[in-house]
Amino acid sequence: MRVATDRDRCIGAAVCVHLAPAVFDLDPDHGLVVLLDESPSETQRPVVEQAVESCPAAVVRLLP
Amino acid sequence: MSLPALPLPDENRLPFAPPPEHDALRDARQVTRVGCPTGMDAWLVADYAGAREVLGDGRRFTSRPGPVGHVLAAYGGPDAPINGFPQMDGPEHIRIRRNFAPQVSHPRRLAELEPLVEQITDEAIDRMLASPQPYPLHREFSTVITTAVIAELIGVPADHRHLLHDAATALFTNSTTQDELRRALRPLWTYLYQLAAGRRARPGDDVLSRMIAHSAADERPLTPAELTDMNGALLITGYDTTASMITFGLACLLNTPGQWEKLCAEPELAASAAEEVARYLSTGNGLFRQATEDTVINGQPIAAGDYVVVAVQSANRDTALHPDAGTFDITRKPGPHLGYSHGAHACVGRQIARIELTTVLRALARRVPTVRITVPLDELDWKKDNVVRGPAEMPVAWS
Repeated sequence: MRVATDRDRCIGAAVCVHLAPAVFDLDPDHGLVVLLDESPSETQRPVVEQAVESCPAAVVRLLP
Repeated sequence: MSLPALPLPDENRLPFAPPPEHDALRDARQVTRVGCPTGMDAWLVADYAGAREVLGDGRRFTSRPGPVGHVLAAYGGPDAPINGFPQMDGPEHIRIRRNFAPQVSHPRRLAELEPLVEQITDEAIDRMLASPQPYPLHREFSTVITTAVIAELIGVPADHRHLLHDAATALFTNSTTQDELRRALRPLWTYLYQLAAGRRARPGDDVLSRMIAHSAADERPLTPAELTDMNGALLITGYDTTASMITFGLACLLNTPGQWEKLCAEPELAASAAEEVARYLSTGNGLFRQATEDTVINGQPIAAGDYVVVAVQSANRDTALHPDAGTFDITRKPGPHLGYSHGAHACVGRQIARIELTTVLRALARRVPTVRITVPLDELDWKKDNVVRGPAEMPVAWS
């Protein structure tokens, strides 16, 4: 599983961070998304998929 | 020919449900034309995919007419007294939001806030247990807790908290005129403007000071007027919306067989209960948008300039989310829903609301497991003429 985020459109809602703290964080300076793990293990798939669906700004996606 | 009126929740008929007219629209993914209480005609979208598409695309669907312009007479139009953060689109909105959201969303910041919410809740329960019964839960408990949390966040001392009560009451009442709203907001806005100036000179550890510091590094730091607008929005929207979710949520827990008992047996279910309350009960009046271009939702052509009402509560009961989405079940594994909206304008206080609801439900289940509503549900006084749904008051007792 490969994950990507689009920091330019991030609004700092932290929905992804609360769902999958091992994969996403907000950087302390700007409060915008930081990808901690670009290739998380399959065990993270359910929470990452929920982050994709729930990110209000639609900046989290799964790469093919 | 006049259009059918927009169906709105009627708690006297169905206390915890969206209007039944929405069910068929949602299940058929049909988009239909309705007349709104404030006089505009709009397209009604009641299914999850359609609702998520409208709310998630601020380019095709602008927030200009205000998120509740379909029900609040004083909210819409270019002369509206509140004409800022909630109605912005695109980069201008993101500039404001980015200085604001992380201060109230980041897990590390929230971890610092949790003990404060727990303390405020415990003190409120101490006062509740020392009070005569029946006890007016909404006024004395729910709104007191949410007011204290949000005021502590911004750093508004106790003797100024009535300002936000007065402003929120005027704002959320459907029939408030623009002049009345302007008069009701002025004292709070004046106070917040002075507060922002003071914090700029002498920063503290509150959210307002952090926003000022955060934006100072920007090309265009936030102006005092923008800070006032943002903090006013946070104070007002964080007040009765969350309080109503506490009161309304407890009513739903107590009236859905087995749910309160499950929470009392396992208070750690409070986190999933808080999410279920938001999914099931939030935003009953729906959210308002306006199309910026000719477009299509669920096969229905929508012309540029047309208004759209997104029936959030109905969309949250779409079987696309859960096979039994019409059932209130606090043991459900939380999944996506639109209870805090979606898109760039999704509730900025979502994580705080989540902590407040979780903390309060857990503490009530632990400390007041015998709580009950002292009147039959159909005798409860439900809020009318108000954009925030739920009981106007809820007398409770315990043993």
